Amino acid sequence: MALAIEAVNLVKEFGGFRAVDGVNLRVEEGVIFGLLGPNGAGKSTTIRMILGLLKPTSGYVRVFGIDVERNRREVLRITGYMPQHFSLYEDLTVEENMRLYASLFGLKGGEAEERIRELMDEFVLWEFRNRLAGKLSGGMKQRLALAVALLHRPKLLVVDEPTAGVDPPLRRYFWEKFRELKRRGVTILVTTHYMDEAENCDRIALMSRGRVAAEGTPLQIKRLAFGGDLVELVVEGDPRPALDGYGARLVEFEGDGSYSRIRLLVPDASEALVPLTKMLEQRGVKVVRAYPLPVSLEDAFIRLTTGR
Amino acid sequence: MRGMGPLVALVAKDVKQLLRDPRSLTMVLFMPLAVMAMFVAGYGEERSEVPIVVVNLDRGSISWQLVESLRSSGTFKIVAYAATVEEGTELVRKGVAYAAVVIPEGFSDSVLTGQSTRIVTVLDAAYATVSELVWQSAVIATQAFMKKASELYGTFYIDVERQTVYGPKVSSVDSFTSTIMGVLLHLVPMSLIAVSISRERERKTFEQLIMAPVSSWHIVFGKFIAYALVTVADMVVTMAFAVYALGVQVRGPLPALLAVSLLMLLCSLGMGLLISAASRNQLQAYQAAIFVFIPSMLFSGFFMPVELLSPTARLVSRVLPLYYFLKAFRNIQLRGWTLADVSQECAALALETAIFLAAAVRVLRLKVE
Repeated sequence: MALAIEAVNLVKEFGGFRAVDGVNLRVEEGVIFGLLGPNGAGKSTTIRMILGLLKPTSGYVRVFGIDVERNRREVLRITGYMPQHFSLYEDLTVEENMRLYASLFGLKGGEAEERIRELMDEFVLWEFRNRLAGKLSGGMKQRLALAVALLHRPKLLVVDEPTAGVDPPLRRYFWEKFRELKRRGVTILVTTHYMDEAENCDRIALMSRGRVAAEGTPLQIKRLAFGGDLVELVVEGDPRPALDGYGARLVEFEGDGSYSRIRLLVPDASEALVPLTKMLEQRGVKVVRAYPLPVSLEDAFIRLTTGR
Repeated sequence: MRGMGPLVALVAKDVKQLLRDPRSLTMVLFMPLAVMAMFVAGYGEERSEVPIVVVNLDRGSISWQLVESLRSSGTFKIVAYAATVEEGTELVRKGVAYAAVVIPEGFSDSVLTGQSTRIVTVLDAAYATVSELVWQSAVIATQAFMKKASELYGTFYIDVERQTVYGPKVSSVDSFTSTIMGVLLHLVPMSLIAVSISRERERKTFEQLIMAPVSSWHIVFGKFIAYALVTVADMVVTMAFAVYALGVQVRGPLPALLAVSLLMLLCSLGMGLLISAASRNQLQAYQAAIFVFIPSMLFSGFFMPVELLSPTARLVSRVLPLYYFLKAFRNIQLRGWTLADVSQECAALALETAIFLAAAVRVLRLKVE
């Protein structure tokens, strides 16, 4: 599969401070890739270098094989960007903003007209088309920003914190849009500090203090953090002697004499659960319930970055 | 005392903020020093002498003593002697000299017979300050001559009359119009456009704008043309107000005056754009615009013709658009010159505009840092 983004050894220093410290990213075409991390982890700086808005102190970026520093304009033609802060002209109307950017991206006459109408319908902007952008509500501003980012039908959409300070219905709306865009073949790079949202991504990179702490699918990240999956079992009696010598690590035990609740770390919950139950029954431990334990990415993140 | 706590806290906060903005602080500390240094360099040296023409219609020898008195006054440099009043006036009109001093026929006889007589100073009122200086110095030189001569020839009296090359009087409104137009056409458009790009940076719209495939050429010329269209209307209105409402006299063709003003306007916009492209925020841009304006004020002939200042000042003036503008404007408005007569000044303004714009395109970086 083709690479939409290839960032190699990106470093950015501001004064003496290393905001980004050797980041490598490979984003495959057609995925939703999440860049995760707390505020100040270097997410925005990284994407600004990917977009050529900042010149890296060292390292380089290629977007669909095109070098960003050398051929930035070519990259811009296939890239859409929705910045963290509303960055359109507040003293122009919704329609004027869209027309301006349609012209800047080289959309002509009827083509521009059609595309603007299409996006206004899609993002429910038509009835506000004559309103000054500065007079729009937060949610409408975000929708306008996304519509403008998509004007020129980019192959790559880069979105910086689209859901910061946005109410839950709109957050959901955005993620549905992203999935829809993905179905249409658009590659999406999105930054967020909401870990729960990141479950929507195909792949994520966890950033912490200017570095990528971990990279993979959400499931892989969690396994990496905990060294496997967690499963929880409720059994009669004390199963601990029966677990001796079995390839599962006991991480938590809680018993009242007659029943016990245990948490075990296994390489893969879906594969491990059945053999584990069978083994315990064979050794005379009656299993009341057995289920995989959901771990949040937040837990994984905290574990990966602090080691706790 | 009640309420002093918050006051102290706010003072401390603002002092800290000022000290932590080294660029502004440098500007604040450096600017007064630089201005004083410029002022001394330009105005502190021995002032050059004012070139004048002497028209001596007298056939006697006593008049030459008056001429000597003028020469030794330290104010004048006699650059020519003319045979007739018309010839002398023409030299002033052409800008060869700032004044013609006319000594009348029969001057020596009048002195010898103790009659009163008068000399005439024909002044170039294009520079109000210079004509004032010339007249006063002529009066002083004449008085010195009278004192010395009366010991030899007995009492007599010489009156000094003032005239201008453009008739009896040039009103101060007329002579200061060029200065006012210069300030308006330089400072206003320059400071307006100087903050334009940094405002986009501060409002973050720049970040979105440079994600479209535009070049710095597009951005610079887009702003240049837009601001020119808006400010040119302003310029025409101001000029119309001066001419029709205030009754400012224009001896040369009005379209020529408008053309020169338009060139100055475009040049100011170019200069402002260069400042805008180079500065990081609006405050910085404003300060830079003001800072650039100061040498213009000192060395472009606002108060004094640059020719009468030091050689250093003269050199500095040659890079200032305002110098060319004031020269061209005054010559058209007060001396009645045509556009062809000021073509050199126009060419200089156009060239500077082109240089400023090219530099702005080069300096503007399509990055967000």
